[in-house]
Amino acid sequence: MLEAVRLTKRYASLPAVQDLSFSLRQGQVLGCLGPNGSGKSTTVKMLTGLLEPTRGMVLFNGRNIRDDLEGYRKLLGYVPEEPHLYPYLTGWEYLELIGTLRGMPRLQLEKKIDSLLELLSLHAHRHSVVGSYSKGMRQRILLIAALMDNPQIFIFDEPLSGLDVTSALIFKNLVQALGQQGKLVFYCSHVLEVVEKVCSDVLILRNGSVIAQDSVEKIRQVLGQSLEHSFLHLVDDVDTMSVARDIVSVMSAA
Amino acid sequence: MTTLFTGPIRRRWDNYRQRPFARMVQLFIARIFHGGGAADSESLDLSVGLFLSLLALPGGFVSILLFNKYGSLLQWMQGTTDVDPYAIAVPDEYFFIVLSVVVTGVVAVWRWDSIFPDRRDYLNLVPLPISTRTIFFANLVAMLFLVGLLAVDVNAASSILFPLVVGATQNTFFFFVKFAAVHAISVMLASIFTFFAVLSVLGLLMAVLPHSVFRRVSVYARALVVISLVTLLSTSFAASAELQPLAQSPHSWARFLPSAWFLGLCQLLRGRADPALAALGRLALPALGSVIVAAILVYAVGYRRYFVRNAEMTETTPIRARPTLPRLRTVLDRLVLRTPVQRGCFHFVWKTLLRSEPHRLVLAGIGGLGMVLAAQALQRAFESQSDVNRALSADALSVPLILIFCIVTGLRVAFEIPVELRSNWIFRLMLDAGNHECEPMARKVILIFALPWVVLIAFPLYAYFAGWIVGLLHTALIVTWCILLTNAVLVRFRKLPFTCAFPLFEQHSIVTLLGWAMAFLAFAIVTPEFESWALLEPIRMIGFIPLASVAWYVPRRIRQNTMEIERQLIFEEVPTRAVEVLHIGD
Repeated sequence: MLEAVRLTKRYASLPAVQDLSFSLRQGQVLGCLGPNGSGKSTTVKMLTGLLEPTRGMVLFNGRNIRDDLEGYRKLLGYVPEEPHLYPYLTGWEYLELIGTLRGMPRLQLEKKIDSLLELLSLHAHRHSVVGSYSKGMRQRILLIAALMDNPQIFIFDEPLSGLDVTSALIFKNLVQALGQQGKLVFYCSHVLEVVEKVCSDVLILRNGSVIAQDSVEKIRQVLGQSLEHSFLHLVDDVDTMSVARDIVSVMSAA
Repeated sequence: MTTLFTGPIRRRWDNYRQRPFARMVQLFIARIFHGGGAADSESLDLSVGLFLSLLALPGGFVSILLFNKYGSLLQWMQGTTDVDPYAIAVPDEYFFIVLSVVVTGVVAVWRWDSIFPDRRDYLNLVPLPISTRTIFFANLVAMLFLVGLLAVDVNAASSILFPLVVGATQNTFFFFVKFAAVHAISVMLASIFTFFAVLSVLGLLMAVLPHSVFRRVSVYARALVVISLVTLLSTSFAASAELQPLAQSPHSWARFLPSAWFLGLCQLLRGRADPALAALGRLALPALGSVIVAAILVYAVGYRRYFVRNAEMTETTPIRARPTLPRLRTVLDRLVLRTPVQRGCFHFVWKTLLRSEPHRLVLAGIGGLGMVLAAQALQRAFESQSDVNRALSADALSVPLILIFCIVTGLRVAFEIPVELRSNWIFRLMLDAGNHECEPMARKVILIFALPWVVLIAFPLYAYFAGWIVGLLHTALIVTWCILLTNAVLVRFRKLPFTCAFPLFEQHSIVTLLGWAMAFLAFAIVTPEFESWALLEPIRMIGFIPLASVAWYVPRRIRQNTMEIERQLIFEEVPTRAVEVLHIGD
């Protein structure tokens, strides 16, 4: 089980995340929602061990992840929000590098890279440099890099950005399949329909704090509407229709 | 038989290369050559072979030029057959040490962003099961590899060719080996010293300054290093002359130059150092050890401060919200920049020049060279014997012309360096190919950059020292020459600055370079000579009118004769085809 215990992160004196607590069980797919600046990225960075919390801790199976960060990362597959890859490496070389650094046996690594590239329709481009890839292709490379060592925990930060319809559909089904396999999946996104469809539970953040955490079904039942409306109800008191009307009027003003 | 022995070694080496640490070292070495930072495709990505060849070129080229000095036939013809090769080689040895220092220093400044692990490394490597300490040591090993490679590559050609050239008059192989070994040790140690010295300076700033301040200061520090290196190179002949009689003038400024310490070391190893030079030579190794220790220490501190805490940093430095000189902008928009395209592009170009690091570095390098040349000219003017009117001497008159030439050519070179090519879609979308406003806009950028301060400084100075008429005539000449040079450098310019991929190295690149050298000669050396003579009788200045007319007419004529298709705005340069297939039969 992965637990966040009263996680707090401050940048200088500004709090980005405050007293955030939640847990992620085996087989659970936990969606994380929140408007810009709500602390999603900071939370993801603390869960991956990239960022040290100012207070609180992240526990994996009851043990602070910072006690054995390397061991924890061996069990972690992470797809970051920005696809920063080495542009001069080919897709195959990049994956081979990541696999080697993860300590995967060579034969197994090569086999897995080939199969995953094939399944995600990148095999034909495996010897092209990443610099020539589209955003969606880079995103698929990151996805393969996260999957290939068969980790226990998956942390996806906006994984669908740039993916075409087919890849996005594959990915949605994949997330559900990972949950069924007993993996722990933390899924951060702005796309509410996807979170609604693939996540069993959802965590809604605002100003660095949890404002709702429950199963998607329960949130829908309590608020009696779709996740999109529930999200807007919880997070913002903005009348989106009136803002849209105002934009059009400013646009057309002389 | 050979494979019987090499096979297991190769297998073992291949296995070692597949280890995580070795893979990381390879990764860091590759990123040093291919570039770091956020750039994906817009940075100048030279192949490793080309990169190394370019670095080796200066040493080899200078060695070959020295055949003239050391050739035994030429020495015999000059009647100097009984020469001591060690003695006559000292100034050249010094020059090679300086060359090694300069080339290595420039590479260290240029590749600084790629040497230090950045955000991309952080995002790719830190989530993996590797400790940050392992990443640190892998990067350190890659850096040490680079230092070694640079030291060997930069000096390899001169380490073979220079001893061959010097030893042309000596028939012993032993002389060659001894001379080559000492030369190689001295120049390579000088290279290593420079690399670590640059790293120490920049690393120290990184270790002591807050991140946001460091990002702003870094470019100025690097520009300062480049200017210092250019100064060292251009004053190497003067310094070499200062070093010869060091025993007589022990307080000479030359003893503070690290290049002098390595010359001292070289002479010590040859057993030819006088006491003063020997004392300098003894400084070389302790200095080298100190900079290595300092560089590794500041690098470790910088790594801890920046790399390990990368996740807490923002990627961008905030820029002042308030625009500077809003009135000047209004004036420019009303009077100089006539069309919306010119206004938009002008402000884009101007801000890029002021904010983009590679552009500022290129301008600093070429500007620094201009300042050094101008300072030398000014020094010669003050040293001239004739007291009649020093301000009228060709050297004094050449100062603003040298600076103008360097600014104009520096800007022209900077225009070719792309910035964020992925973002040029906005210009591709907004500007149509038939738009010919880029050239006038580029001309305005150059003239606004170069002219006002030269006029504001040159006119009062020359008027004060040589009278109003000379001041006016000289300023008028500077302005005219600046406009004509700008016109000339922009012939067939059909790009929006910074939005086109790097220009191709073409067959006529050497001719272009020679053309620029000739232009410098005409602009900053011949013109002041002629002007100096003309100003004695100001009416003679009329002689410049036909010259200016020709310089104005030729680019204009070329522009008129250029076909419309060759004037169209481009965002990519397509190589010129040697053979064009017409497909007539299709």
